[in-house]
Amino acid sequence: MFDWLTDPFSVHFMQQALLGGLLAAVTTSLIGTWVVIRGMAFMGDALAHGVLPGIALAFVLGLDLTLGAILGALVMVAGIAFVHRKARLREDTGIGLLFVGMLALGVIIVSRLPSFTTSLTTFLFGDILGVRSSDLLIQAAAAALALAGITLLYRPFLVLSFNEAKAQVLCLQPRLAHVAMLTLLTLAIVTSFRAVGTLLVFGLLIAPPATAALLARSVPTMMLTAVGLGCASVVIGLLLSWHLGTAAGATVAAVAVAVFFAVLFARDVADRVFRSRRRTAVVDGGS
Amino acid sequence: MREPAVIARDLVLAYGERVALTTSDFDIPAGGLTALIGPNGSGKSTILNAIAGLLEPASGRLAVLAGPRRSAAIAYVLQSTAVNEAMPITVREVVGMGRYGSLGPFRRFTTQDRALCLAAMERLAITELASRHLDELSGGQRQRVFVAQGLAQAADLLLLDEPITGLDLPSTQRIRAAIDAEREKGTTVILTTHELADAAAADWVLLLAGRVVAAGSPAEVLVPARLSEAYGVSFVTEGGRTLIDDPGHRPRTARHGDTHFRVGPDLDALSE
Repeated sequence: MFDWLTDPFSVHFMQQALLGGLLAAVTTSLIGTWVVIRGMAFMGDALAHGVLPGIALAFVLGLDLTLGAILGALVMVAGIAFVHRKARLREDTGIGLLFVGMLALGVIIVSRLPSFTTSLTTFLFGDILGVRSSDLLIQAAAAALALAGITLLYRPFLVLSFNEAKAQVLCLQPRLAHVAMLTLLTLAIVTSFRAVGTLLVFGLLIAPPATAALLARSVPTMMLTAVGLGCASVVIGLLLSWHLGTAAGATVAAVAVAVFFAVLFARDVADRVFRSRRRTAVVDGGS
Repeated sequence: MREPAVIARDLVLAYGERVALTTSDFDIPAGGLTALIGPNGSGKSTILNAIAGLLEPASGRLAVLAGPRRSAAIAYVLQSTAVNEAMPITVREVVGMGRYGSLGPFRRFTTQDRALCLAAMERLAITELASRHLDELSGGQRQRVFVAQGLAQAADLLLLDEPITGLDLPSTQRIRAAIDAEREKGTTVILTTHELADAAAADWVLLLAGRVVAAGSPAEVLVPARLSEAYGVSFVTEGGRTLIDDPGHRPRTARHGDTHFRVGPDLDALSE
């Protein structure tokens, strides 16, 4: 059993994958907690896919892919704000339009490449087994930045999530806080997509914080729980993919989502048992 | 009238192209309780939003507390605080947010900050709920938490948007008592209401209908002619009570001549 757990991580590329996955889990879980609390999951999903044309363009031009991802995210955020302001439509309509538009543009750019299928698969699903040391450095810096940003901006983020008008009355600059939150969200996505891809980074962004929301009673506890669950998903996902021969990034994301449903089911069962025992105690006490 | 806490001159308030308050002049005295009353869409909440700094005047001038706005100077208890149920936050933390205006993003809570939060919770009788989550509370309990958050701010100006609308009796009594205590302390309290009785108990009243119909003491403002102008129906005064003069309803309080009947002082029916 011990060998089953340790053997996979004796290989160098699996050690790199483990480190890359853990760093991605830390960054995405910290930011993802606020995404879940504020109900910004659609925005997170769209942003995760909206970076694709930037990455594809950077690949075609031979530039750094992370730079391309940042550019894609900026265009996405600016486009959503433009549609919301000019068309007087709800923000989710703008997000939906940009989401599909940017994803389509990304696929169109990639379709001009000779290695269309391979490149698209790598961008969408990542290559966690091909994580390089330079990627790890960027991911470590992003995790440190995310931690620092969330610690410093905890109160503005908390009141913004509670009520935007209240944040403005308390002079906590809700618009700046929103921009800071989007910046950290972009940071989490663009520094994690190499490991798990633009499609699956959303799984790490949402699933561990959503699971933590079922268990935690405060925002800091929710963040810590989400980080723990995210890291556990990475370790379990890599182990399963090694032993079952499945795609590593997809297995990690699938484990994170499976943990959510397992916890939801367990909590539901625990609630039913608790209510049943309480009813029995009331009946016994009354007789 | 005492020194004004709020001065409005040629004030126009609008949401985009929709004007919510046409050109208006009014003062709100410092200290004491001011009630903003009028039908739905008359501009009550809009004026509070403008005083709180959430809405810039479309034109005209609005001076609040005669000086630059300080973060701790205005506390605003919002009408419907929409809180995401996924937010794991306790009553203690919600009340504590009231101190963030003074503390800013970084400064730690002092003994005085904690004492202010505790006192606010005690006044609204929510101390025992301190560790509970918002989504575990009733509507009345939640509203008491939001009022406690406003009180914890220890502001010079306390704004409350329909603080007791639709609440149970214990919550209504607690909130009314807290408002009275603030008023006696000398805080300027401004609230919006649909209850004629609450407006009558205030020190100053602004009667609104997309403009300021009247401003002054309750005795000056809450008279049938003014109320009729604001609400578009007839009012009569009977036995010291101002009642809607409604010939179309069956009698609920007293008969007036042969055809007119009263439906009581509650203006909710007019506002729905």
